[in-house]
Amino acid sequence: MVIERAWKKWVFFYIPLTLFIIGTLFPFYWMVITAIRPDAELYRSWRAVNNTPFWTLHPTFEHFRDLFAKTTFPYWLWNTFFIAVISTAISLFCGLLAGYALARLKFPLAGMLGTSIFVTYLVPPTLLFIPLADIIRNFQLGNTPWALILTYPTFLIPFCTWLLMGYFKTIPKELEECARIDGATRFGAMARIIFPIAVPGILSAGIFAFTLSWNEFIYALVFLSSPERKTVPVGVVSEMIRGDIYFWGQLMAGALLGSVPVALVYSFFVEYYVTGLTGSVKG
Amino acid sequence: MANGQNVEAAVAVPATRVAVRGSWAAREGVQGFLWIGPAFLYLAFFIAYPFIMSIYLSLSNARVGSTEYHFVGLQNYQRLFADPTFWQTVRNSFVFTFGSEIIRLLIGLPLAFSLNRTFKGKRVVQGLILIPFVIPIALSSLAWKWMFDSLYSVINWMLMRVGLIDYPWQWLGEPGLAMWSVIIMNVWRGFPFSAVILLAALTAVPQEIIEAAKIDGAGPLRRFHYVVVPMIRPILFVGLLYSIVFSFTDFSSVWLLTQGGPYNTTHVFGTYAYNIGINAGDIGQGAAITLFIFPFLAAIVIVMLRFLRRE
Repeated sequence: MVIERAWKKWVFFYIPLTLFIIGTLFPFYWMVITAIRPDAELYRSWRAVNNTPFWTLHPTFEHFRDLFAKTTFPYWLWNTFFIAVISTAISLFCGLLAGYALARLKFPLAGMLGTSIFVTYLVPPTLLFIPLADIIRNFQLGNTPWALILTYPTFLIPFCTWLLMGYFKTIPKELEECARIDGATRFGAMARIIFPIAVPGILSAGIFAFTLSWNEFIYALVFLSSPERKTVPVGVVSEMIRGDIYFWGQLMAGALLGSVPVALVYSFFVEYYVTGLTGSVKG
Repeated sequence: MANGQNVEAAVAVPATRVAVRGSWAAREGVQGFLWIGPAFLYLAFFIAYPFIMSIYLSLSNARVGSTEYHFVGLQNYQRLFADPTFWQTVRNSFVFTFGSEIIRLLIGLPLAFSLNRTFKGKRVVQGLILIPFVIPIALSSLAWKWMFDSLYSVINWMLMRVGLIDYPWQWLGEPGLAMWSVIIMNVWRGFPFSAVILLAALTAVPQEIIEAAKIDGAGPLRRFHYVVVPMIRPILFVGLLYSIVFSFTDFSSVWLLTQGGPYNTTHVFGTYAYNIGINAGDIGQGAAITLFIFPFLAAIVIVMLRFLRRE
C-alpha cells in the first residue's frame, strides 16, 4: 500500500465519512427527538427565544403513553410479527426445495423453470395489487392476516429460491454423494448433510425475508381495513393521521417503536443480512 | 446466476448418464419436478394468474363494490390516452427513476470506494449506513414528511441558519420542488443498497491485480476504467437494473410524502393506479394503469437475461 499522510486521510476520508453518516442517520435522530419532545415545544416557531431545536430540556413520554392508550399499537406489533414469521416460513420451505432442485437436480425444463422463477423476482407488488385485491375479495380473505400471509411469499419465494440456489451450488457435491453411497435417500442426504451446512444461507434468506415482510406497505394498505387488524407501517400511517391533523409526537413515537424490532433483528445478524442483500443480486 | 449453464447441462448430461444408470436419471427427473413444484405452483397461482386477471380487468368495467362486470374492449386504455394526468404520471415516473438512480450512483460509487479499505470500525460504519434500507420505508417516510413540514421544517431552519435560503421553502407544496423532495428521500433510502452491492463487488477484486496495474504505471482513472470496471461490471449492472425496477415501481415513499400532489406533479404509476383503482374504485382503469409498467419491466428482464447468458 502507498502510505498516506495523516492529514490527507482526515480531510479525504474521516471527515467526509463522518458527515455522511450524520446525514444518513439524522432522520432517525429527528424521530427520537420529536417522540420525546412535549407538544408545547413541538409546535413553536424556530424564531422563538430560548429555542433548542436539536435537543429538548423537557423530555417526556406522553406520546408513547398516548400511543398505547389511544391506538391498538400492541395489536399491530403482534400482527406484523405473526404475518412476517409465517410468510417467511412458507417462503423458506418453497425456496429450499426449489433452490436445491435448481442447483443439484437435472430434469427436463429445469432451465426454463429457473428462469421463470427468476423473472417473477422482478414482478413488483405495484403490478399485482389490483388483481390480487380482487382475488382476496373472492376468497373472502379481505381484512384477515391470511390475505397478507398468502401474498407476501409472492416476492419472498423468488428471492429465497435464488439466494439458496446460489448457496447450494457452493456446497461440494461429493459430500452428498458419500451419503447416497452409504444408503441415504436423496431427502435423507439433504436433511442430514446439506441443510446443516446450509444453515448460514437459510439464516440469511430468512432474516432478509423477515425484514421485507415487516416493511411491506402496499398490500397491507389495500387488503386490511379494521384498525386492530393492521400491521405497524399501515397502522401508524392510517390510524394516527386523523383527517388533516398530524399528531407528530405520537406518529414519531409509533414510527420509532415500529422500527425497533427490525433494527434489533438487523443488528444481531448484520453479516447475514448483508449476505442476503448481496446474494439477492449475485445469485 | 447460471441459468444459461443450467439449460446446457440439462440438455447435455443425460445422454451419457442415462446409459449408465437409466432408472436413476428418470427418478431424478421426476424428483426435480416434485421439489420445484411447491414454489412453481405458488408463483403460478399468486403471480401468473393475477397478472392474467389484471389484463382481463383492464378490458372490463369492474368497480369496487359491484360483483358484476363485463368486457368493454379498449375503453379504459382510450380514456387513459386522453387523460393528461396519465401522461404526466408517465413522465414523472421516468424523472423520478432516473433522477434518483443517477444521484444514487454519484453518491454510492465514491462511498463504496472509500469503504473498500481496512480501517477501524469498518463493520460499524457499514452497519450504520444500511439502516435507511432496513427500517420500514413507511415509517421513515413519516420522519421525512415531518422534516419537510410546511411550518416546522428542520431542513428549512438549518438552511436559513446557514444562510443558503432566506425564506422557508415549501418542500412538498411547490410543483418542481416536490419532485426533488421525493427524489431526495428515495436516494437516501436507496444508496445503501447501491453502496453495499458495489462494495461487495469491489471486495471481490483481488488487490494484487490493482497493485500490478499500479506498478505498470496506470493512474487511478485508468486503473478504474481498465481493471476495476470490467471486473465489477456484472454485479454493477444487475444491481443497477434491480434498483431501477424498485424506483420505477415505487409506491409507498411517494404516496406517504405527497400522495402524488401538488397538482399531480409527483404521481408515479403506483400512486396513480392506487388513486384510480382503489380510492376512486375504478378497478378496470386502475389495472390498465399498472399494466403500463409491464413493457418497461419486460424490457429490463430481457436485457438482464441476455446479459446473464453472455457473462
